[in-house]
Amino acid sequence: MKKEKNWNLIIGCVLTGMTIIFVLVGFFYTPYDPETMDVTAKLAGVSAAHPMGCDNFGRDILSRVMKGSGTTLVVAAGTVAIGTMAGILIGAFTGYYGGVLDEVLMRIIDALFAFPSILLALVFISLLGPGKYNVIVALGIAFIPSFSRIVRSQFLYQRNMDYVSSAKLQGASDIRIMFVHILPNTLSVLRSSVMIGFNNAVLAEAGMSYLGIGVQPPDASLGRMLSEAQSYLFAAPGFALFPGFVIIVMVLGFSLLAEGMKDA
Amino acid sequence: MKYIVRKLISFFVTLSLVSFLVFAAFAVIPGDPALSKLGTDATPSQLAALRGEMGLNRPLLVRFGSWAVSFLQGDMGTSYSYDRPVAGMILDKIPITLTLALMAFVLTIVIALPLGIYAAKHEGKWPDRLIYCMGQVTMAVPPFFLGILLTFFFGLVLRWFTPGGYVSYQSDFLGFLGYLFFPALAIALPKAAMALKLLRGSVIQEARQDYVKTAYSRGNNTNQVLYKHILKNALIPVVTFLGMTLTDMIAGSIIVEQVFSIPGLGRILMTSISGRDYPVVQAIIVWIAILVLVINLIVDPIYKGIDPRIRME
Repeated sequence: MKKEKNWNLIIGCVLTGMTIIFVLVGFFYTPYDPETMDVTAKLAGVSAAHPMGCDNFGRDILSRVMKGSGTTLVVAAGTVAIGTMAGILIGAFTGYYGGVLDEVLMRIIDALFAFPSILLALVFISLLGPGKYNVIVALGIAFIPSFSRIVRSQFLYQRNMDYVSSAKLQGASDIRIMFVHILPNTLSVLRSSVMIGFNNAVLAEAGMSYLGIGVQPPDASLGRMLSEAQSYLFAAPGFALFPGFVIIVMVLGFSLLAEGMKDA
Repeated sequence: MKYIVRKLISFFVTLSLVSFLVFAAFAVIPGDPALSKLGTDATPSQLAALRGEMGLNRPLLVRFGSWAVSFLQGDMGTSYSYDRPVAGMILDKIPITLTLALMAFVLTIVIALPLGIYAAKHEGKWPDRLIYCMGQVTMAVPPFFLGILLTFFFGLVLRWFTPGGYVSYQSDFLGFLGYLFFPALAIALPKAAMALKLLRGSVIQEARQDYVKTAYSRGNNTNQVLYKHILKNALIPVVTFLGMTLTDMIAGSIIVEQVFSIPGLGRILMTSISGRDYPVVQAIIVWIAILVLVINLIVDPIYKGIDPRIRME
């Protein structure tokens, strides 16, 4: 039987690749300065000079979308990094040792897990105040419960395996067993949850910035552009459509990639 | 019976834990509510007096205790920014957000079930592929952007509804439900796409089991096998997923309310977060926690009822 082509992987790679190139170029070069306003070009439509048109201040949307997707990616990466690292630490210790520490921590984690993570992030944002770095911290903390649970269940399962007992017999320390022996065996499970987490982080950041409590100006952000664009939906639909489509391409590419890697 | 008692105990433990965490979080943050209320030109003695009046100089646990007791009595504190009782500000908003979330939930089921079954029945053929592709794209759309797209298309181009023309549920309940349709759709579509993908996969997987062959050999036709045998088992993971999404729907409502200018909990939560109006934020978060936990309390026995393999322990 001929193996069917892994379209998820192919399309996912292409979309993700495009996004990354788009963002990387945006770090170094944008067609216009994303902050420069041009009164003559207010809400200008799509043209050769402005491929995505201009916003209500006459700022070039393409340049702003490039900068904004960069912000979104940085926030998502930071979020996942915090969530994964703290999740690995908490999950490893609770899953490996069990006992009272596990009971107490897992009670708290379960209580937080019942709570939608974006709401958790809102609580932290209201404590920390808005801004790019606070969003990373808030979302990162909000993602810890789910990562901890995944890592913990893996450690619970792996700690009774033969290779762990044999490592113990050879006198390996607990820390070594946890992070050198068990952790690598949990990576395949972790990889897919990291990718899903990354997408959730992109969506959460966009949502929070849309609500006005995420990334703050002068940092460009896709969510914020969408909220500004909403009042001009009829006059300049492109103002909302382009940033929105960039979010979709970003998330779609990554989720197809995750799915394709699962099948590969 | 034992099961119900245990569930209720865990409900109250979790609720107390969450409200304490929220309370403690707001208590330890830098920033002085008395200062923000009086402004920077307040004299130290004025500040000290107000702090005493607001009870800010008592120990944390005592403050939490008295806050929890008055919360249970219906007194949720006083808003810093509006100087009004918080209860009056949020209680009539809860039905709005809850209705929106429930409506989104119903829409998710209405969309996902038939499409998921249809796709599974036509596995590998073009309707299945089309549904799969559309589902993948829908999952990637943030609900608030979907809301903007729906506003643009159905509100501005087709003029099926007036964007921003929210109808209050106290004055016209049907009009209220009508206005909530598109916001609910915006929340529902991405979740429906996930549910239908799950259902499709689960039906296809169940269809390969031996009991399906047995059912066919007894002379059942495809529909009988599908609806009487396969679905019963295939729905189990889907119901679990739906139970989890119901709480996400509440979070989704908070954001989508902004898109459609619906004056629910989300709106007031946003203004109080920006205005650092902590008593309001705190009360809303605790209320959402109550909603989430009540939902879990109701959903849990349902999927235990569907799957007899999960014993009620």
